[in-house]
Amino acid sequence: MTNNDHIKTARKAAPNTADHSLQINQLSVLRGMVLVISNLSHQQNAGDICCLTGPNGAGKSTLLRTIAGRLPAAGGHIACPVPIIYVGHTDGLSGAISGRENLTGWAKINGFSTTETAIDTALSSFATNRFADLPVRVLSRGQRRRLALARLALAPADSLLLLDEPNAGLDQASSRILDDIVQKHAMAGGMVLAATHLDFAAAAKPRSLHLPGLVT
Amino acid sequence: MKPFFAQIERDLLIAWQNRQDLGVMLVFFVIIIALFPLAIGANASVLDPLGVPVIWIAALLAILAGFDRLFAQDVRDGWLDQIALSQLGLGWYALAKAISHWLTAGLPLLIMTPLMAMMLNIPLQQWPPLLIALLIGSMGLTLLGVIGAALAEGARRGTALMALLILPLAVPLLIFGTLASQSDRGIISPHLMLLGAVFALLLALAPLVAASALEIGETETGL
Repeated sequence: MTNNDHIKTARKAAPNTADHSLQINQLSVLRGMVLVISNLSHQQNAGDICCLTGPNGAGKSTLLRTIAGRLPAAGGHIACPVPIIYVGHTDGLSGAISGRENLTGWAKINGFSTTETAIDTALSSFATNRFADLPVRVLSRGQRRRLALARLALAPADSLLLLDEPNAGLDQASSRILDDIVQKHAMAGGMVLAATHLDFAAAAKPRSLHLPGLVT
Repeated sequence: MKPFFAQIERDLLIAWQNRQDLGVMLVFFVIIIALFPLAIGANASVLDPLGVPVIWIAALLAILAGFDRLFAQDVRDGWLDQIALSQLGLGWYALAKAISHWLTAGLPLLIMTPLMAMMLNIPLQQWPPLLIALLIGSMGLTLLGVIGAALAEGARRGTALMALLILPLAVPLLIFGTLASQSDRGIISPHLMLLGAVFALLLALAPLVAASALEIGETETGL
């Protein structure tokens, strides 16, 4: 956490640095009538991996969705100048079409490369080639998860990855692949913020951001 | 524009995999039209003027019946989250949804219409105005349906709510549409122009209304 303090002071000295960083200031988020996140501040620089921890209902998913712009902040503000890649609880895959069609469609709406090699490389990052041409509805939970995570291979180098329980349902081999991809992304200058209860990118010694949850 | 067409392409791929839904919708359309003469009785002087209105009512019900699931699947799958973060944006997404839905529901219905017109003994010179008016009308109804589906998204009893919201708004399309279809002043009648005006208004407004409805729906009911 000393590292964190250092960043904060650096930020005060130069509040408008145009570097690729995520800044959250005094953020509060309401769900219905309940204040889920109150007065949260967090800074993250290019190359940082951060684990979001806390008990169920502490607001981990809410925070990720707020950063992704899917929920409004009740107070405070978030600045993120880099593209955001979000992999949430739901995989964002249509069951009616194949994993390959899902991934290609996703790359197209984001304006990423959709050449056959780019899609094939992304699909093979989580070793999904064997089932990528089957309709997603016949796949298992873990297989869908791997297809959803295959998007990370298409993410721009400086992007912020928001991962909600990314390794839930993954087998050990896939978890290792995920750790590997996340670390490479951070080394290339990207940022990662992941809500997780499991070991995540332990080798990279990620920072952690703990949400205590509401004491009622 | 590439993301926009990618969304349409994706919806058409999904619609092709779920093509039995299209069959159900078309059979619904045919059955409504077939039931009217059975209820009214075999009196040609009563039946003849009812042909065009019956086709319009059937088209209205058949098009709007297919709308309750329009956004539900994308919301449940988490695709809407991906859209919101993409280059596409919710407004263009809603417009892409309207286009793909019209291509998979409105267009097949329009292709069926000559067959129905033949069944209802509508005179041949009335077919062109009927088809042109129905073309514009079905596109307008699709845009209305997109508004309704977006507003009802996330609500309990969304289908019933959608019907209550949308059917009153369909009145101008129905009035101008049936009048334009029965025009005896050629294809381009004043009613057709008014129908076109309603469609143009919907084309401009529906994507914006649907986008803000989807945005609000997310904050009120999301995970």
